[in-house]
Amino acid sequence: MTVEEQVREIVAKITHVDKSIITRQSTFKEIKADSLDVVQALVAVEETFGIEIPDEDAQKFQNFGDFVSYVESRVAQVEKV
Amino acid sequence: MSLEGKLALVTGAGRGIGRAIALKLASQGADIVVNFFRRRETAEQTAKDIQALGVKAEVIRANVGDPAKIDEMFDIIGNKFGRLDILINNAASGVGRPVMDIDVKAWEWTMDINARACLLCAQRAAKLMEGRGGKIVSLSSLGSFLVWPAYAIVGVSKAALEALTRYLAIELAPRGICVNAVAASFVDTEALKFYFNEALNKDNMPVTPAGRIVTTEDVANVVAFLCNEEAFMIRGQTIIVDGGFSVYSPLFSLRKKD
Repeated sequence: MTVEEQVREIVAKITHVDKSIITRQSTFKEIKADSLDVVQALVAVEETFGIEIPDEDAQKFQNFGDFVSYVESRVAQVEKV
Repeated sequence: MSLEGKLALVTGAGRGIGRAIALKLASQGADIVVNFFRRRETAEQTAKDIQALGVKAEVIRANVGDPAKIDEMFDIIGNKFGRLDILINNAASGVGRPVMDIDVKAWEWTMDINARACLLCAQRAAKLMEGRGGKIVSLSSLGSFLVWPAYAIVGVSKAALEALTRYLAIELAPRGICVNAVAASFVDTEALKFYFNEALNKDNMPVTPAGRIVTTEDVANVVAFLCNEEAFMIRGQTIIVDGGFSVYSPLFSLRKKD
């Protein structure tokens, strides 16, 4: 599974939406994710990929695609180390 | 008062009241384990400021809402230090909603972090305090018995924390462990901005009969006192630090002038 597919599964599970409706352009509001859902998704993603996502970075995510791109770049950094 | 040679764990010590408590205990000579969850840089800063006071600081990331992470944190403390003298249950979170909008997820998230974590941390801490006694202080809020807007779940979680404090105080007394709580009113921290809109600021913050709002240092001073031997006979209490806010009646403003 790609990083994007894994993150999509995590978000879909937390927000109880069908993962097929989550596109890279989807905003958290469109996915019906409230602020608690977003925090829980961040925590689940952090644990899955062994990374830390500071709140300051997370606040910049405009949509699901931003979230995925961020995780992809952080995972790549971890793999390099 | 001195806490020289003592080891204290302060949960949620990166910011606000937790940071002030960590620095106060450090200023009295205690080494500090700085727990944080969401912001590493603030925790690292707290640790630096603690070290500048000439004592040791250890930073451990853990979501205290997750029992497995609490275990991991205490495993690290046990392996590295083999003991603990003071536990400060300060980490807190919450979902600010009126009662009709509370769902199971919001309830569990808040209760797990604000109430359950106090039990699980106390259980693990008591084992590290075996044979040496110790102090446990948990941070409550006036919202445990006053009704504040969109504060229901947090208020309930703090009421649970206060009840737990009484049970822990009695059941851990034979082990030489003193357990108490401290409840503050509005304290000027980032968390306050989470519950109230930007219109709430230093100028219009509810004034206390003491004439100013409660600071993080006001709370830390009382917590530190409870961690000292002078407070040995205080058990199972929730000490209110609110400048008189909770006992002040608004009727005073309606009183006839003499």
